[in-house]
Amino acid sequence: MIPAVSLQIDSDLDSVELVAKAVRALCSDKLGEDMLADVELSVVEAINNVIKHGYRGEKGLPVEVKISIKSDRVVLDIFDEAPPMPGSLLEPDTAALFDFNPENLDELPEGGMGLSLIKMTMDEISYSSQSGINRLTLTKLFENPGTRVQ
Amino acid sequence: MLSTETTGDVLVVRLTEKRLDAGKAPLFKERIGSLIEDGASRLVLDLRDVEFIDSSGLGVIVSCLKRLGPAGNLAIAGASSPVKRLFTLTRMDRVFSMHDTPEAAVASLTS
Repeated sequence: MIPAVSLQIDSDLDSVELVAKAVRALCSDKLGEDMLADVELSVVEAINNVIKHGYRGEKGLPVEVKISIKSDRVVLDIFDEAPPMPGSLLEPDTAALFDFNPENLDELPEGGMGLSLIKMTMDEISYSSQSGINRLTLTKLFENPGTRVQ
Repeated sequence: MLSTETTGDVLVVRLTEKRLDAGKAPLFKERIGSLIEDGASRLVLDLRDVEFIDSSGLGVIVSCLKRLGPAGNLAIAGASSPVKRLFTLTRMDRVFSMHDTPEAAVASLTS
């Protein structure tokens, strides 16, 4: 039996913080500060995408996050009932979003950074849709299982 | 959400929130936008109180820099470790000058 916790929020951007804090607390004795920051950022970006793009900002719709702590990894499953996102979005980035000229203001991205950040910081990503439910699975490996990484 | 202090011709804006995320980003954009509207062109954003920023929050900071235009500038002070990490991951640390203290950030804009 793998220890797991499920959290359900409704599709409100002001509720995302609750999940972020729970995820951070659940992983805090397994991950060092940088990796903890990565996991928190990725889960927030994933839920933001569901609310902003999947549900188009509509409130009152379900978002569920399941956090499973295994011996060598944390697995985050984000479930929603929005129209599925195109799988191509999860393919490796061909256009380097952050490869801008820092001197050129017009080139700097103001949005659309979420998925790129998830891809950069998570070890495994998968996405599937079944019977109207989408599931995004994000995996972060612990570098030294069972010990705190400093 | 914001507290401001003027040092010479630099406006130091302290974000008095623990989190700047997608939920808070629109109000932040509005507040800082009205400061720019009121004539602020060189800004220091003091992030000492901020524990977490997501890409929506970062996007607003970028949009402020664009709004200030080539004549203006925006420097960052007091970014915590996770916030610094977001700037590094997105390579925005090459765009904004990052400083430990507001004083150092002000000096970077006035030198």
